[in-house]
Amino acid sequence: MRSYELLFIVRPGLDEEAMAALMERLQNAVRDNGGKILRIDSMGRRKLAYPIAKQTEGHYMILQAEMDQTVIRQVERLIALSEDIIRHLLVRMDDEQE
Amino acid sequence: MSDSEERDRPSNDRRSGGGGRKFSRSRNVCRMCADGVEQIDYKDVNTLRHYVSDHGRILPRRRSKTCARHQRMVSVAVKRARQVALLPYSAVHVREDAS
Repeated sequence: MRSYELLFIVRPGLDEEAMAALMERLQNAVRDNGGKILRIDSMGRRKLAYPIAKQTEGHYMILQAEMDQTVIRQVERLIALSEDIIRHLLVRMDDEQE
Repeated sequence: MSDSEERDRPSNDRRSGGGGRKFSRSRNVCRMCADGVEQIDYKDVNTLRHYVSDHGRILPRRRSKTCARHQRMVSVAVKRARQVALLPYSAVHVREDAS
């Protein structure tokens, strides 16, 4: 399994409860498929460099995890279905950083 | 590196002047090589800002004075940052926002 970093932007209007539920679902998606979460972090609320989904701000979240293709497929599916995640980026960490 | 090309170009260069070198040899050392940078994080917006123009375009190597390897790393990082709206694709978006 490789290490990946997933950065995703959550719609700013989301309340804390829904946010927690969303994070829970994501973490479960990783764990239930045999992935291992390495780090979860928030970059906080930031202004977007350009509007996405009619939003000018967003909550930036980072999730680093060891995943294989099955996990990635599930996680990306979840992201695609979620209306609260307006953008995401998945990059390999392996030879990069930490 | 780029200055050697300039010296070899004969056109407006005083060939037989003999008054020494017309062009001072300025060493362009990639700053990131000097600092030993091994990776560039796309989330590090403040660093990446140095490598894009006011309009958000990636600066050419001759402006940013980076070596080929680091320029490649910069361009990948900037493009990733753009995907997640950490950096603009162009300045137009900013203006649309303000008006």
